[in-house]
This record gives sequence, C-alpha cells and structure tokens, in this order.
Amino acid sequence: MSEYLPIVVLLILSAFVAGAAIALGHLFGPHHPTERKSLPYESGMTPFGPGARRMPVRFYLIAVLFILFDIETVFFLPWAVVFRKLGLFGLIEMLIFVMVLVVGFLYAWEKGALEWE
Amino acid sequence: MSAQVVTENVDLLEKFPQSVKQDDRAGYAGYIVSADHLLEVVRFIRDDMGFDYLASITGVDYLPNGLMEAVYHFYKTSGGPGLVIKTQVDREQAAIPSLVSLYPGADFQEREAWDLLGIRFDGHPDLRRILMWEGFAGHPLRKDWHEPYYEEEGKPYKSRWPEGKVYRREDKNPFHKNVDYPAGFDPDKWVPDDDSTLYASVNKISSAGGESGIKTDYVIVNMGPQHPSTHGVFRMVVALEGETIRALKPVMGYLHRNHEKIGERNTFLQNMPFTDRLDYLSSMSNNFGYALAVEKLMGIKPPERAEYLRVIMAEFTRISNHLFAIGSLLNDMGAYFTPMLYAIEERELILDIFEATAGSRIMCNYFRFGGVARDLPEGVEEKMRDLAFKRLPRKIDELDLYLTNNEIVKARGEGVGVLTPEQAIAYSASGPVLRASGVPYDIRRADPYSIYDRFDFDVAVRYHGDVYDRYLIRVDEMRQSVRIIQQALNGLPKGPIQEGKPQYLVRVPAGEAYGRVEAPKGELGFYVVSNGKANPWRYHVRAPSFVNITALETMAKGNKVADTVAILGSIDIVLGELDR
Amino acid sequence: MIMDWALLTEWTIKSLVLIFGLIGGFAYLTLFERKVLARFQVRIGPNRAGPHGILQPIADAIKLIFKEELIPAKADKIIFIVAPIITVIPALIILAVVPFGPDIRLFGRTITLYISDLNVAVLYIMSVTSISVYGIVLAGWSSNNKYATLGGIRSTAQMISYELALGLGFVGPILLSGSLSLVGIVDAQKNVWFFLYQPVGAFIFWVANLAEVNRAPFDMPEAEQELTAGYHTEYSGMKFALFFMAEYIKMIAVSAIAVTLFFGGYRGPLVDQFPVLGPLYFLIKVVAFLYLMVWVRATLPRIRYDRLMAFGWKLLFPISLGNVLLTAVGIGLVGITGNNLWLWFIPVSTILFFLLVSHFAQGAVAGGNK
Repeated sequence: MSEYLPIVVLLILSAFVAGAAIALGHLFGPHHPTERKSLPYESGMTPFGPGARRMPVRFYLIAVLFILFDIETVFFLPWAVVFRKLGLFGLIEMLIFVMVLVVGFLYAWEKGALEWE
Repeated sequence: MSAQVVTENVDLLEKFPQSVKQDDRAGYAGYIVSADHLLEVVRFIRDDMGFDYLASITGVDYLPNGLMEAVYHFYKTSGGPGLVIKTQVDREQAAIPSLVSLYPGADFQEREAWDLLGIRFDGHPDLRRILMWEGFAGHPLRKDWHEPYYEEEGKPYKSRWPEGKVYRREDKNPFHKNVDYPAGFDPDKWVPDDDSTLYASVNKISSAGGESGIKTDYVIVNMGPQHPSTHGVFRMVVALEGETIRALKPVMGYLHRNHEKIGERNTFLQNMPFTDRLDYLSSMSNNFGYALAVEKLMGIKPPERAEYLRVIMAEFTRISNHLFAIGSLLNDMGAYFTPMLYAIEERELILDIFEATAGSRIMCNYFRFGGVARDLPEGVEEKMRDLAFKRLPRKIDELDLYLTNNEIVKARGEGVGVLTPEQAIAYSASGPVLRASGVPYDIRRADPYSIYDRFDFDVAVRYHGDVYDRYLIRVDEMRQSVRIIQQALNGLPKGPIQEGKPQYLVRVPAGEAYGRVEAPKGELGFYVVSNGKANPWRYHVRAPSFVNITALETMAKGNKVADTVAILGSIDIVLGELDR
Repeated sequence: MIMDWALLTEWTIKSLVLIFGLIGGFAYLTLFERKVLARFQVRIGPNRAGPHGILQPIADAIKLIFKEELIPAKADKIIFIVAPIITVIPALIILAVVPFGPDIRLFGRTITLYISDLNVAVLYIMSVTSISVYGIVLAGWSSNNKYATLGGIRSTAQMISYELALGLGFVGPILLSGSLSLVGIVDAQKNVWFFLYQPVGAFIFWVANLAEVNRAPFDMPEAEQELTAGYHTEYSGMKFALFFMAEYIKMIAVSAIAVTLFFGGYRGPLVDQFPVLGPLYFLIKVVAFLYLMVWVRATLPRIRYDRLMAFGWKLLFPISLGNVLLTAVGIGLVGITGNNLWLWFIPVSTILFFLLVSHFAQGAVAGGNK
C-alpha cells in the first residue's frame, strides 16, 4: 500500500491548492451582488421557469449499455497482463469472450438501442 | 427597365367585376381589391394565375384621403413580371383579412404592418408587435404619429436653415424636462415586460407527452439577445425537449430605429446613404435597389458605363457577402474562426476596391439616381481584373477544397434544417435560401433589371434545401459572380457615369414604384411612393433577412440546439436589415 | 522514522513541483495556444503584455483574481463552489503515475522522476480521469441555468461515447508490455515505440482523448456558439479559472499519457547515459501533442453530440475492439512461432481492419440524422 501514500500527499496538496485558489478569489474579488446580477444568465433575458429541472435524457439506454461494456473492458486489463503466460489458451478464451460481447453489441445495434434521434 | 406590372391581364377584372378595379391614380398601376373579397381574389391569383410567390406586403397610410392601403406584390417563380394588388380600408378601423392561410410567408410582414401602421389582419394566427416592444403606444408609421422631437414632415428642417441660426430641437427642449411618465410610473422600479404573451405562444405546443408516453417537461430557453451566435442582437425563444427544438419564435427589433419613418423624413437623395445601413455587409446592393425604384419613378436610365459599374460593384458585394456568410456559418458550426479569417482576407481586398472608388469600405453610398457617384480612379480597374481573373477564382476553389468535403461540415449540414421547395415558396423565402431548396428563382434572370440580361451566367440551384446546400449554393454563386464580373470588365465601355447633372434635390413625379434586386441575401425590394414633394410619402424596405427568417421555425423544428445555430447561420441574416 | 520524514519531504517536494509545474504549464499553454491559433489564422496573437506577450498569462491570472464572483440566486451554493474543485483535483493528480525520466541521483539519494509507481497505474488513470466529469455535471446542475444544465447533460453523453474506446486503447500497450505500470510500459519501449505496433490503437486513443478533455471538435459541453459557455456559464473569477485550468492541465496530462503509452515516454537517444535528457525528451513530445490539439482546434468545426455518440459506439468501439484482438493474435503468433517478426502482423492487420470498418460504418455514423 505504500505506493499510494505519495498519491495521498499529492491529493491533499492539490486540494489545498484548489481551495486556495477559490479563497484567493473570495479575498480579492469585489462583492456587490444585486438582484439582477444574481439572476441566472439566459442571454440577457429574465429566465422563464427554473433552470434545473426534469430533462429527458434520451440516451439512457446507451448509458445502461455503457455500464455493461465498460465493465467488460475492465476484464481485458488483467487478461492483457498475463496474456503471454496464458498463451494459446488465453487467446482462444478471450476470442470466445469477445464473441459473446460482439453478439451482444450487434444485437443492441440491430435492435436500435444505439439510435436515439 | 422591366415592366413589372401586368396590365394586359384583364382576367382579374372580368372574373371579379364587383370587387376588383383598376388602380387608375396617376403614376400608379395594378388593381384595387375590396377587402371583403381579398382572400377569394388572392386564391384565384395563386391557383389559377400562377402567382405563387408573395414577394412583399406594404402598408401605406394615405392620411389626406383617410385611407389605409395594403400593397401586395406577387410574382411567379417560373419568372416574368409581377402583379400588384391593393386593398384600401378606412384608416381609423383598418382591418384586412390575413393572407397567412394562403401564403405563410405573409406572417412577419403582416405583423410588421400591424406594428408600424396599425392595420389589423383578421385571421392572423399570432398578431403581435414585431419590431416595436409590447406596450409601445401607437403605430409609428402612421402619418399622424409624431416622434418626441418632431419638427416637421420633411427635411431639410427649417430650424437648420438659414445659415448661422442652426439649432437643434433637443437644445430647446432638454432631455429631463421633456420626459413625461404616465401617472404612477416610476422608471427606477420598472420591470421590463415579462414576455408572458410570447411565452404563452411558444407554450401552446408544450402540452404533448413524448412518444414513449412518458411526460417530459419542455424547457423554454431564450437564445439571445445576448448570445454569441445570433449574429447580433437577435433572440430566439425555443421550447426544448432535451435538446430537441419543439417550437421556436424569433424575437427581433432590438436594433429597430424605424428606418422607414426616418426615410420618409429624408429627401430622396438623403436616403441613398441611409440604405447602406440596412444590410451593412452589402451596401452596394442596397443602393442598387433603391436607385432602381426611384429611377423607375423618375423615368430615367443610367448611361452604359454606369450600368456596368453598378453590376461590377453589386457582384463584388455578393462575393464579399457570401465569403462573410460562409465564414460565420462555419463559426456557428463551431470552427474556431479559421474559415472566417481566411474568408475575411479576400473580403478585405474587395473592400479596398470599394474604398478606392466610393471612398468608404462599408457604407459605400456609391449609387446616384441615373448613375453612380464617381468613376473608377486610376489603377482600380487593374486591381479588379487581378481579383476577378486571378485571385478570387483560386481562393474560391481553395475554400471549396478545404470545406466542402469536410466530414464534420457534411455531418452538421446534410439533412439539417430542411426546407422543401413548396415550403420555400410558400414562406416567401428568397435568395440562396430559396435556390438551395431547388427553386431556380433569381431576379437577375427571372425579372432582369439593369443589364443583367446581357451576361452569361447560371442560376445556381441545389435541391436538398438543407444547411449544407445553403453553404454550397453560396460557393456556386460566388463562382457565377466572378463570371459576371469578368464579362462586365471585358465589356466596360467608356463614357459618362451620370445621366444629366448630379442634383442635390431631385424632382420625383408622383406615383409608386417597386424596385427589386437580387441582393446577396435574397430579394431586396424598395417600395417608394412619391407625392411630388422632396420627400417620399412612403418608403418601404422589403428586407430579405426579415422575410427569410419567417421560415426559421419550420426549418428548426425537430432539430437540435446546435443545429438551430447552424440553420440561422445558413439563412445569413444581418440585423441592420432585419430590424431596420 | 528519519527515513519516513525524508520520504515525506521527497514526496511533498515532488508533489509541489508537479502541481506548480502543471499550473505554470497551464498558464503558458494558454499563451501557446493563442499564439499558435493566431498563426494558423493569419494573425499575430497576444503581443502586448511583455515581449511577445510573455506576460499575458500573468495578466490574465491577476485579472481573474480581482474579478467579482457571482453565485446565481437559486444555485445550490455548496455544490456550486465544490464543483470546480472536484474538476481540478483529478486533473492535477493524473500524472502521479507517469515517469518523467529515468531515476537520477541527487544529494546521495536515488530520486525517481515519478510520484508513485503503482502496479495498477492504468486503472488509476482510467478511474481518475473519469471523476472530473462529475465536477462538470455538478457544475451544470447546481448553476440553476438552462445552458449549464444542457452542458452538463452533454458532458455525460460525451463520456459514455468515448470511454469504451479510451479504455480499450490502453489494452494494446498492456498486451505488448505485459504490465499495468506505466514505468513498466515505458521500459518495454526501450527498442521500439509502441506506436509502431499500435498505429490504430494510438489514433483511436488520441481521438478519444480529445473527447475526454472537451477539446475541439468535441467541445460540446461548453460549446460557445450553442450554449454560450455550457456548464461554466455562471462561473466567473477564480472558480472559472479552475475549470479552465482543469481543462488545460488535462490536455497536458492526456498528452503525457499518450506519449508514455505509445511514444516511448521519456525514452530517446542517449537517455541511459544522460538521465537529464529524459524529462527534456518527454517535454518535447508532450508539446508536439499539444500542438496537434491546437491544430485540430484551428481546423475542424464542432461535431454534434448525438453524432459523437454514433461515432463512439459504431466506429471507435468496434475498431478498438478489433485492434485489441488483432494485437493479441499477433502476440500469440510470436509465442507460437517464436519469431518476433510476427509483431509486425499487428500494424498491418489493424490498419486493414480500420479501413474496412470505417468504410462500412461511415454511413451508419453520418446517417444518424434521417
């Protein structure tokens, strides 16, 4: 675990630097908020309705697929490390794995899961 | 000069003996149709006579006669001269049936006439003010409406005359003393109009659920007036589902200065530099249209050399405008200024020619009634030849090479913002927008003016009506313009550049005239009515940007936010002309 | 204990050098970009602050510090302030596992020119880079601004479009080197840069990286022409500067990673004899990649975000999957025949595969809009 300690040091320092940057802005920047100034920017018009609200995210199906395939991608990494040791077995085994993956991918493609407007 | 009004067509009079009569005022032409039968007559004009293109709607206030008149200019997209009909109603209760059901392109023009002249168009789906703000009192183009510093009807003002006693009305009536607020109005607490009517008209569509049956919220977003890619202070109110446009209302008038009212105060010649300010990217074309209209009234023709110079300048203007349009279209697609700056480099060279000839790069003020202001100085013709024969053809090819087959330009343009030929005609679109939709209608060919009938050029036309074709058509048109310039330079005769003597105060006989030119952005028309005085009685601009924008909602619906910006860029608007 | 303190000091110093190096690099990268863009566009670029505009970044920084910062009325204040920090921290710590040069000896100690040699460095990079998307989405959501919300959503859409190809892009070098550690991967490129075995992999990786750092032509979340400034519309002053900084530092970071994975990292002639050359080579390679990024920005218009999704899923993903398989087959062939020349099977076959797929998938991508 000791390799992670320097990263923790780096993490703390960068958080400190980021925080310091924000503090710097707070310290030196003027603060004169007015009602008009603190309206959200909408090309100069008073916004109509709330800014953040329910938004139709049409690509949620792709997002779900993404989780599946991204996890499968992670499986490649350990396999790649020990691939030379596994030899032919590793290759064939991975070919089968990818075949399953590709069939699923093509199925999703054919079914139109990748199409959203 | 082309005859622009069909006089031999007696059909209309025979068909509608009760409701149509010849306009027999001196200097006028066309037919006067009674308001009650307007729709019926216009339907006949469209369906049976084949005038499928409603070019212009103009309201004219004839205060002395107590009449309010609407003037309609119809054309055939197959070419040929046009047809003018008018409707006269009592100016106090001016109400005319709306033509939006027959010609959707009448939409904004009728709103403009309502806004500025107070002509109510019955049956208009969305008759709101368009150039003035909601809550403005009165209709400014009515002859009895006077602006705050009103002095007199026409320039030159007597207060500036005679020498030595010049004062301004404002000096005698300082700002803070002349401002009257309605009772109870406190300007410091005033909150601008919340646009509830506008949002309501956008919101009308916002009730349906998605196709999946899941109810989604439409979000109403303002794009503009302070937005990086609306080409100025232009505003689009869009209803979004996710990022898909479900409804869009353009809002304009932020740059409105009532060009036409000022134009009616000016003398005829004073309006010449004033037209430069319309489409400030192509001032020569604006000059051209106005000069044509007034020359038609005066019944004069410029000499040969002036005609050639006019054509050369107008075509150079077209090239410079299209370069700019393509550059900003690419900017709107997200290219970081590189195409824009490459295009501007060539444009600068064209502006050099303008500067050498007219004295100014942008506001050229070069045309005069019956001629042009100045002849070409020494060396300019060589410069023009160099540009037209060597540099521009090469640079246009270069632009073509870099952009036309770019995968992303294609992906962003093809199939986006489609306007079918039928829609394009119905919406009175003109210029590149119309021709990119597959309608080969170019006024230079269809209803030739000046000496365009002498040149050999092709009317550029593309058939998909999408953003990509509207880009391509501009490249095509630049090539054709180069051809015209080459021929004009080769044929440029020697001789005078001005018919008669240049005059400060021209005598314009009473009458009406509609001068239309194929400006780079589309049909630019000037409807001028003279009553024989030094100032025009009515001076109306049919601005191509303004009319083309009518079709924006149709083009944008169903596309994405990103596409809207590209579509707007592909229409190529200029706010000076849109808002007037 | 004494050893620990010495180590801690070393870590702190190295961390500070990295952080301030990156911040300085960010500042001058903005100047570099503006200058290079200007030259592409027949302009001069900033030349007022100091000779050749050298002081321009400093002037910008001072201006940003003294700017008024606004928080929109109905914004979620805490998230609004934390979002830029969430975005910038990952950018600063990505490079912890990248070796900038071979070990050097200083003050009688062996100093490694990396902060940590994780044995799962590649996983570390993949996970850390993804975190900054949260910052962007949170910034968009907390601003109570419609453009910002749309920008945040776009950023999600973008992430799920390129991450697959990006992840698979790492696999090639891992297969070739048999190591997840970047130090190991660099050492494996002693003789031949992996770029030569992995031209397609490197290309896909690079394209995905452009999307990862929101650079043109994939800068949809902040598309100026469409969403004014996208997710950071409401940010001003130093908070905006942090987003800006995160973007540019990530540019440096992904360039450094690409150099490490495919272009031999700090390796170059005579590095083993003169270790000081290592960081120099590294810097030169990174700058070359940064130049490439600026070049792309000067050249290409922006793609639309649904098109990017089609592009990522229908083009990049199949190609990178095929690239991994063909790489494995090539290495397998070496294992079976014992002849290292079979490694050249990989570039030949992957390029052919790339051409094949891009030929067929082109219609599918471009025809996204009916």
